[in-house]
Parts: sequence; structure tokens; C-alpha cells
Amino acid sequence: MAESGSSAELSGSLTLPPPRTRIFKIIVIGDSGVGKTCLTYRFCAGKFPEKTEATIGVDFRERLVEIDGEKIKIQLWDTAGQERFRKSMVQHYYRNVHAVVFVYDVTNAASFRSLPAWIEECKQHALGTEVPRILVGNKCDLQDSVQVGTDVAQQFADAHSMPLFETSAKSPNSLGDGNYRNSDHVEAIFMTVAHKLKSQKPLVLSQPPEGSGGTVILSGGRNDGGDGGKGWSCSSC
Amino acid sequence: MSTARIDRASSPMNGRQDGETRRKRKIADITQALNVDPVDVATLRRMAISEGGLLTDEIRCQVWPRLLNIPPHLLDQEPEKVERDNNKDYNQVLLDVQRSLRRFPPGMPDEQREGLQEELIDIILRVLQRNPQLHYYQGYHDIVVTFLLVVGERLATVLVEKLSTHHLRDFMDPTMDNTKHILNYLMPIIERVNPEVQDFMQQAEVGTVFALSWLITWFGHVLSDFRHVVRLYDFFLACHPLMPIYFAAVIVLHREEEVLDCECDMAMVHHLLSQIPQDLPYETLISRAGDLFVQFPPSELAREAAAHESMATSTFKDFELASTQQRPDIVLRRRRRQKQASPESSTLSPVMTVAQPSTARRFVRLAVMGLTVALGAAALAVVNTALEWAPKLDLFP
Ligand SMILES: Nc1nc2c(ncn2[C@@H]2O[C@H](COP(=O)(O)OP(=O)(O)OP(=O)(O)O)[C@@H](O)[C@H]2O)c(=O)[nH]1
Ligand SMILES: [Mg+2]
Repeated sequence: MAESGSSAELSGSLTLPPPRTRIFKIIVIGDSGVGKTCLTYRFCAGKFPEKTEATIGVDFRERLVEIDGEKIKIQLWDTAGQERFRKSMVQHYYRNVHAVVFVYDVTNAASFRSLPAWIEECKQHALGTEVPRILVGNKCDLQDSVQVGTDVAQQFADAHSMPLFETSAKSPNSLGDGNYRNSDHVEAIFMTVAHKLKSQKPLVLSQPPEGSGGTVILSGGRNDGGDGGKGWSCSSC
Repeated sequence: MSTARIDRASSPMNGRQDGETRRKRKIADITQALNVDPVDVATLRRMAISEGGLLTDEIRCQVWPRLLNIPPHLLDQEPEKVERDNNKDYNQVLLDVQRSLRRFPPGMPDEQREGLQEELIDIILRVLQRNPQLHYYQGYHDIVVTFLLVVGERLATVLVEKLSTHHLRDFMDPTMDNTKHILNYLMPIIERVNPEVQDFMQQAEVGTVFALSWLITWFGHVLSDFRHVVRLYDFFLACHPLMPIYFAAVIVLHREEEVLDCECDMAMVHHLLSQIPQDLPYETLISRAGDLFVQFPPSELAREAAAHESMATSTFKDFELASTQQRPDIVLRRRRRQKQASPESSTLSPVMTVAQPSTARRFVRLAVMGLTVALGAAALAVVNTALEWAPKLDLFP
């Protein structure tokens, strides 16, 4: 069944002697044009893509990272934003997902207003609050055309128990945080999710909702332009 | 050894000469077919399918409208202006067109490209505005840009409108349910040819979304060499609207070794398959797709495809429109009736079908498809007579 894929190997690693590279599957969703492809590309290829195209269906990107000495494969499912693709096409890819990244465009209020629908979409696929979810406001480099203020976004994130990150896939270094260790903010965001996932018990990753005893209470740390991971690092087990 | 070298050296020359001769011959045949009255659409169809397709854009400007059965008087219509403000599709179309840089020839000056992008937006909005029943989908712009670059704005508008109300109609429903249904043909085709591959894919639970952009853009979204895209458009315009899904199957089958070597995991297989190799042997694959279509026509696969879904509407009866003089609304009306009645094919000529033993039938169909290259000279006579029958055969079941 659905558990037969890589995640079964993940949880069932007892029976598979050589420890396999763990895989974290993260689905990235949000309206068309918010920058899902750019963000995932930035994380996996390390740069802003010169020419993106509309995503038709689902694209897949991955990157191998090392967390506390363990090699982990992060799989990003970059989905189509146009509404008509959601229902019948993208469905299949919600299965066995370990975390969800919601993206809106800070310069496009409509993309922010769509978020409840996206959250609902996830719930229908059994991806509720028990699965790590984060909210990303993209295109922060376009400071003059911001339509969604940080306050509003933060309230929303709090209400849905998600940490909020504001960033830019285009120039993630110029956010004025002065934190040059994590000079790539987009990278830091995805790594935060990966850390979060790693800190959970492996079983939780591949189990349907009822399994986990811990509804993760997220403190929804406001991203003050600093290390956006704060919210989680303190609430994680 | 030296003679062998000479032989080898001279054969490509001959090959090239042959190629040149064949090309001239083909151009002459096409011209001839265009000049007879009424225009010999069956021959044009065959030319579009057979090796090399329609060869040049000038020819395409003349032949594509014929393949879509567009009445000549429509071709001179000056496209009307379109309103962009308050247009429900404008934002999405703009976003997609702005991101379509890769579809334009690399050396094209920005200014020229931007002009074409404006035209692209206009064509799309115009067709949508004239046909409120049609819904824009991301990828539609990849189709329209191909027409724009080959035939120019005015003709592209007419061709795209016709295509949208026929070949692409199902993709333009309010939902993608019918599109999904069409994708369901993919696995049964693969299964007929190579059950092992089908089984492997089934186990990996890869689904069919990797082929979605292939289908709804006629490969325009995924092939980087524009010449290949145009060659495929020749082929698809001349064929049954389901041909792109046969072609998708052929690509998967062409890569069977890679697929079977892949880790049996949804992500891995999806990833492998969605990256189309750019050096595909297109002519071979085209004739293979045609062959599969003949061997396993949609009517034969319909039940299996429908088994994946509760829905069982094969909406592709429209094709005969292209070779007859019917008006679209008649076909649409009939299509609606068929939807309500039996999903099985009913537009074929029963007499011919029943009378032919199946191998002979297959042979004739193959011939009509224009796939005569493999059949040898003896087939030609049959082809020629078969062609006269073409519209009446169950060529497009
Ligand atoms: N200024 C700026 N532009 C961005 C940023 N991220 C993305 N963009 C632009 O926004 C447009 C859309 O980006 P995509 O990544 O293709 O959007 P998407 O969410 O994948 O859209 P769909 O595939 O249609 O769902 C592109 O033109 C990008 O160049 C950003 O951080 N800053
Ligand atoms: Mg995208």
C-alpha cells in the first residue's frame, strides 16, 4: 500500500541491516507564481534559476545533506499552483509526505488569501497539525511592493501553529540579518524542516496521524530577519 | 580495405542524395495534393505522418489548416482586439507567457521576442473569450507558442481555436478529470507491449503525472529543440487526438532498460521518466506509436482505461471532423449523446471492419497510417487503393 515505498524502509529499517539513507519527503504548495519552483531550485541547486517555467503537474528535486553526522536525502515535491491541477493531479503526491511547506508571495495578497484553501487541501490528505508544516512568505526582495505585512502573516501562522519565514528565493542573502553563517536563508529554512524531522522518532515520519503521541506545539517564532528556525528548535523534543 | 572505405564513404553521399531526392519528391507530392480539387487531405495526412513530416514552415502554413479542416474563408479573418482588463485569465496567462522564454529561438532579439509574447497573450485570450466553455490550463501556452512561431498570429488564432474545440477540448474542461482519464490509457498500452515494465511501474506506484505535461502540451513543454516539437505537431495534427498518449507510451517503452534498472520507488521512477532524453529517435518512435495505435486502438483499451476511473467517456469521436465536412456542433451534440449512451466506439464503418479478417485489416490500417516504409514496395498498391477508402475505414476507431 501507500507505506510500501521508501518510507516503509525508513520505519522498517530493523529488518534491513545496512542503514539506508533516510529520506525526508517535503511537499511544497501554494498559488501559481509565488515562487515554489524558485525556492526548491534555490535549495537543491544553490542558486536562483534564470528561467523558470510554469510547473505542470509535479516536479521533483532532491538534495543530500548531512545532519549531525547522518546523511539524509531531502526530497522536494514542487507542485503546480494552478487550481485545476490540485484536485486530480497533485493528489497522488501527498502520500507519505513528511512535511509541508506552504508558500505565499508577500507582494500578492491573493496568494496569502488562498492559504486556508491550501491548508484544507492538506487536511484532506491527512496532513494536519501532526505533520511539520511551515509557512514561507517569498519575494521579500521586492520591498516596495509588499502587500502582506509581517504582522498579518504572523497572526495567521500562529493561528495555524506554523512557524513563519519571510524570505526571497532571488536574493536570500540581502535580508539584512547580518548572519553570514547561514548566508543562504532559503537553505536555512529547508534545513530547519529537516532538523525538525530528524528530531522526531523515525516511526512518526511514516505513520498516519494517530500514531504520534506528540502533537507538536510550535511556538511560531517570528522571523525577525534572523535565524528563522528558532520557533522550532525550542519546541522540538 | 581501401575499397571498403570508398564504399562506406560513398554511401552517405548516396544517402544524402537519396534524402534530397525523397525530399523533393515529397514536396512535389504535397504540392500536388494541395492543388487538386478537392484538396487531397488523405495524402496530406500521410505526408505529415511519414518520415520528416511536413518539412518546412511554408508547407505547414498551407497544410496544417487542411489537416484541421478549416474552411479557407476563415483564414483571412483579421483577429479582433482583446480586452485584457477584467479578464479572468489574464493574470495566469501573463505569468505563464512571461516564463516561457525557453520556447523562443535562443538568438532572437529581446524586442522581437517580447512582441511575440504579446501576440501569444492575445491569441490565448481571444480564443478563450470567444469560447467561454474553454478553460485555460498551464501548458496551453506551450501549444499556442508553437503555432505562433510556425504560422504567425493570424493563422495561429484560427488553428488554435479549432484545436481547442477538438483535440485539446478535454484538457480545457473546468476540471482535469477527463485529462486524467486520458492519462489512464498510458499503462494499458505499455502493458500490451511490455508487461514487465508496466508491472514495475505499477509496483513503484509512479502514477502517470510524469506524462501530464507531455500530453497537454503535445511535448512542447519538455522538448528543447523546437524542430522536434514541430515535427511531432505534424504527426499529431494528422492523427487521432489520442496519439500523444501512444507516443508517451512509446517513449517509456523506448527506455525500458533504464526504467527496469531504476530503483522501484515512486520518486525515483517519476524523476527518471519526467526527464525526457533530448536525443530520441523521433522518426522511429513516431512510426512505432502509429503501429501501436493500429494494433491496440483506443476502443480496445477503453474499458481498461475506464477501469481506473469510474468515468467511461471516450470523448474522442471528434476526429472524423477533420476529414469530413461536419460542423462542430453536430459532432459535439453527437458526442454528448454518446456520452450518455454507450461508451464504446460507434463511428466506424461496420461493413468494412467486419468484412476484413483482422490481419488484413491491420495491414490496411497500417498502410493508411502512412507507415509504408517498413512494408516494402508490394504494399504500395494496397496503400494506394486503401487511401481512397481512408475516410471510411475504421482508421480512427
Ligand atoms: N523578485 C523575486 N521574484 C521571484 C522570487 N521567487 C520567484 N520569483 C519570480 O516569480 C515568478 C514565479 O516563480 P516560480 O518559482 O516559477 O513560481 P511557482 O510558484 O513555481 O509557480 P507555478 O509553477 O505556476 O505554480 C518567476 O518569474 C520568478 O522569477 C523572489 O524571491 N523574488
Ligand atoms: Mg513552479
